[in-house]
Amino acid sequence: MFRPLVTVSVLLACAATLRGDEAAEIAGLIDRQVLAGLEAAGLAAAPPTDDAEFLRRIYLDLHGVVPSAVSVHRFLESKDTDKRSLLIDDLLASPRYGEHFADVWRTRLISPVVNEQRQQTERFTAWLAERFNRNAGWDEIVKDLVTATGKMEDNPAVTYLIEGRNPLGVTDLTDLSSRYFLGVRLNCAQCHDHPFVAWKRQDYWGMAAFFAQIQTPQRAKLVYMVGVQDNPKFTLATLPTADTIDGYQPEPPTFLGGQRLEAAGQRPLRVALAEWMTAPENPFFARAAVNRMWWHFFGRGLVNPVDDMHSANVSSHPQLLDQLSREFAESGFDLKLLCRAIVGSRTYRQTSRPGQQGEGEERLFGRMPVKVLSAEQLYDSLIEVLGPPAKAPAIDARLGTRYEFTQFFAADETGDPTSYQRGIPHLLRLMNSPQFAGRSIASLVSRTTAGRSVDEATDELFLATLARLPTAAERELARQQIAGAESSPTGYRELAWALLLSSEFALNH
Amino acid sequence: MPTILARRNFLSLAAAGATLSGWLGRLAASAAEQPAAKSCILLWMAGGPSHLDTFDLKPEASDKVRGEFRPIETSVPGIQISEHFPQLARQMQHAAVLRSMSTVESDHQLATYHLHTGYQKRAGGIAFPSLGAIVARELGWADFPLPNFVCLGSGSRLGTRSGFLGPDHQPLDVLDPARATDNLAPLASRAEFDRQYQLLRRLNASFDEAYRAEPARAHASALARAVRLMNAEQRRAFDLSLEPEADRDRYGRGSFGQGCLVARRLVEAGVPFVEVISGGGVGWDTHQGNFPRTKALSLEADAAMASLLQDLHDRGRLDSTLVIWMGEFGRSPQITSGGGRNHWSRAWSTVLAGGGIRGGQAIGRTDRDAAEVVERPISVTDFLATVCTILKIDYKRQNRAPGIERPIPIVDTSKPIEIITELL
Repeated sequence: MFRPLVTVSVLLACAATLRGDEAAEIAGLIDRQVLAGLEAAGLAAAPPTDDAEFLRRIYLDLHGVVPSAVSVHRFLESKDTDKRSLLIDDLLASPRYGEHFADVWRTRLISPVVNEQRQQTERFTAWLAERFNRNAGWDEIVKDLVTATGKMEDNPAVTYLIEGRNPLGVTDLTDLSSRYFLGVRLNCAQCHDHPFVAWKRQDYWGMAAFFAQIQTPQRAKLVYMVGVQDNPKFTLATLPTADTIDGYQPEPPTFLGGQRLEAAGQRPLRVALAEWMTAPENPFFARAAVNRMWWHFFGRGLVNPVDDMHSANVSSHPQLLDQLSREFAESGFDLKLLCRAIVGSRTYRQTSRPGQQGEGEERLFGRMPVKVLSAEQLYDSLIEVLGPPAKAPAIDARLGTRYEFTQFFAADETGDPTSYQRGIPHLLRLMNSPQFAGRSIASLVSRTTAGRSVDEATDELFLATLARLPTAAERELARQQIAGAESSPTGYRELAWALLLSSEFALNH
Repeated sequence: MPTILARRNFLSLAAAGATLSGWLGRLAASAAEQPAAKSCILLWMAGGPSHLDTFDLKPEASDKVRGEFRPIETSVPGIQISEHFPQLARQMQHAAVLRSMSTVESDHQLATYHLHTGYQKRAGGIAFPSLGAIVARELGWADFPLPNFVCLGSGSRLGTRSGFLGPDHQPLDVLDPARATDNLAPLASRAEFDRQYQLLRRLNASFDEAYRAEPARAHASALARAVRLMNAEQRRAFDLSLEPEADRDRYGRGSFGQGCLVARRLVEAGVPFVEVISGGGVGWDTHQGNFPRTKALSLEADAAMASLLQDLHDRGRLDSTLVIWMGEFGRSPQITSGGGRNHWSRAWSTVLAGGGIRGGQAIGRTDRDAAEVVERPISVTDFLATVCTILKIDYKRQNRAPGIERPIPIVDTSKPIEIITELL
């Protein structure tokens, strides 16, 4: 996040790949559909954000970090009428974009169980980041993940297939791949036919059969040594200890929806699965990706729960989901285009302040929901504001600081961006650990306040921490705090501490 | 003092500034209804201790299996344990050795998860709460300024998460028990802390007024609870400098010994569940050099556990405090060429003590090599349902997990459960 952003001239050179017009068209589509939904419910859209709210939000959503004080100054002071679009171009072109989405997808794709194996985690994150940054199609990325072979050190994509899996990897991979790439929860159908949905045990085990060729017959740990290989002799029927697997039912390889695999020939079954999954006409793939991306920005999906998409679970905006999915597939599964369209929409640029409307406002996207900073966003934002962390005796530094911090603050596996999951241990650490709260705050204070009047210094502290100027009331609060403190540096330290511990800092509004 | 009064020590609470209104009423009511609120201390032997070299010795087995340690007599005739648990041997009348654990996971992470939650881990599936979170939820108090679940010592936290029970039941993690108060005291002076916290509350109030967002309220509430703990008299339970040096020595100066001492203090202050990790990381994972490592870890565990049982007994608290000694699995009967033992989940041992159980028993039996259970196999769900029953928790009670339609019982009841009634 200390990297300079790409200059405008570089951006112009690659403008051809940005597909700005297409993005604007799709953004228009989003706004028309969302507005129509609100009108039908007798509601209005919320007013647009001001520049500061927009700036902090888009940094957190696209880069996973709050803007630097320099960026805040530059953006708020710029008179350019096009400054929001230019900023979006900048953010999407920066490598930080791919790093952020790699963080986001890593926490979904490999289980926290194995994050203890840090090297693999880091290699896998870098692998993802490289693809997001060169804007590889989502179909290409998923195909690489599902069909990966070899050892983790040679091909980081394999990490998805190995890490954190139960020794019965076949069933876990069936769950994960359908959940994250098809937006479907099959796991209940492993053992029983789903009571409300079409999924039957047959569907589950038909999908599981595609992963059967990479089962690890002996000790599961062997896979670390030999890597992932397809063995055509393996089928569901050869699964070791099949009798102990809940709901076990050996089915032939069958694509979700009932179409049986004709003939795989010499190709591994996973290749056939990946090709079916990522084909433009696949009924699940594009919809799952669009719903996930929408969820990332809006804190809830067009269908909820985000990974439980099925015919009986009706979308709040069925037509919009259809159209966006079609556009996404036609664009070659272009993730940056989808991001650009969403953040370019008026819908994304609404304030998160509540209107007077109540019921349905959030469900129909008539207001931006307030999201919680993820562990990675929180850590990176603290570093952005305070600089590198200090040593703290209560923290196990062997694990590496960012890694340790994000493990400590990690949310549950659903990753719901609107659910606040921190408790006493987390807040004690943020308030009292010298990792961030001590000298780092003192040095922030001396950087921002030296030689400035109380009001100027207060402005700088607000800009550096909350990426906005204080309100009149807050300025008055700050004056009182400084005046009542033992000394003015103490008063500023109190103010900076309170700003960093505030709800506003902890959240993305 | 009865446990119930300690947990709800109103004098300390008053000192902490908590309101007393409605509080004494509940105190009185619960004292009448539930005179024996229990606590539980889980001594977690990370890595999987060798049952053959701790609580299920096989002196008659062949050289390739038997191992180096001798069995010793205990205070209970007929029960023998490893010579490296000499102090615990004298307290065997309080304890029951379960020699017929028989479980299914042989991977550290998966077994740790299974033994703590009672459910097998599935990628991307439901995040099940660990025993500590369950007990915190069932026996803890919302009004209590101390966290209801504390986890002491370094090592994987995989098995100790609250899962779908949410952040209110997440443990307070203390990596180094001797420095347990590290994040409990403000870095600044008390006066500065109070001033900055007052300012913070005002900033949060105006944000909440403007945005009226649920996460903002949750953040403010977590802050308030953390500050209440900082202010509470009971935080002194974490402070080992208040213990006589001789007692600190008696428990052992290592992380595990000091952790057991903190655990005792926390239980005395009313915390319902404390987990203390031995062998940080996977110390008991003795693929090589099984004997010297198991000996050192046993002696460390022995001093700490025996001191803990003795103190709890002397202070009249043993009957209301269940102490569990366990790891994620046992170790293979065959000794490897490197003098180690590999993972073994089919037959292994755990120990329960206190909590009002009938002590002085050895339950279940393994074959000549301690390789297979030959009498009374105990599954993970048998074990956890028994622990719940001892703690007076209804293990069949169903929880709701967000986004999951079916209710989830505290202990998985999909397969038959056999409570270890001999203990009750």
